[in-house]
Amino acid sequence: MAAVDRYQYLLLMAACLVVTLPLEFVFGARVWRRPRRLLIALVPTVLLFAIWDIVAIAREHWSFDPSYVTGRQLPGNLPLEELVFFIVIPICGLLTLEAVRRILERAD
Amino acid sequence: MPEYTVLAVLAVVGVLALELRALHTGLLGTRAYWIAIVICYGFMIAVNGWLTKLTAPVVLYDPDATTGWRFPWDIPVEDYLFGYALLTLTMLLWDAAALRRAPADGVPEAAVSAVPAASAKERSA
Repeated sequence: MAAVDRYQYLLLMAACLVVTLPLEFVFGARVWRRPRRLLIALVPTVLLFAIWDIVAIAREHWSFDPSYVTGRQLPGNLPLEELVFFIVIPICGLLTLEAVRRILERAD
Repeated sequence: MPEYTVLAVLAVVGVLALELRALHTGLLGTRAYWIAIVICYGFMIAVNGWLTKLTAPVVLYDPDATTGWRFPWDIPVEDYLFGYALLTLTMLLWDAAALRRAPADGVPEAAVSAVPAASAKERSA
């Protein structure tokens, strides 16, 4: 097992951010450039899904292969990677929504 | 019903209720939202597929907590509801944040891209 494998999950999240970055700067999504509005959207979402995750981990709905995560854990046995997921994926979603809006506006 | 299945359905119902009862952003009626959801699902299949593939799974599921239906590859169908709730909640709060901010608040462009304007434009298109 290569050492880099423990960063698989985190690297996948980093790839999501890199792939969606052109939506901000080429398609004019303006999500990263509205940090206050982004925080208002993210904070409740991250909290709710982190709580769900902590409950699901406690009730053993799912678990994580230690070979593919860093092993860093937050309170509630929440892997660091899961918190990153709940921040990164919503940002990707917002970038997609705003990029689609810009494209539709231009088409009208 | 298995626990994760129940929670995933409840999450979607909860998010939809939040919009219909409280936020009233109008997001769900816009073309942009549904196009974005379809695009996100495309990428979700790639990301989720990687995390849940049974050949070398990053995330492992208790068979008793899910229906056991996995498609495509090994993605538990419950994850689509989880993902829908995660993405839609974020988008709803994003639009609600813009709607509630007066233009005098210093970020007039937020109000410009608020949903009612976008949906009105879409309806007229």
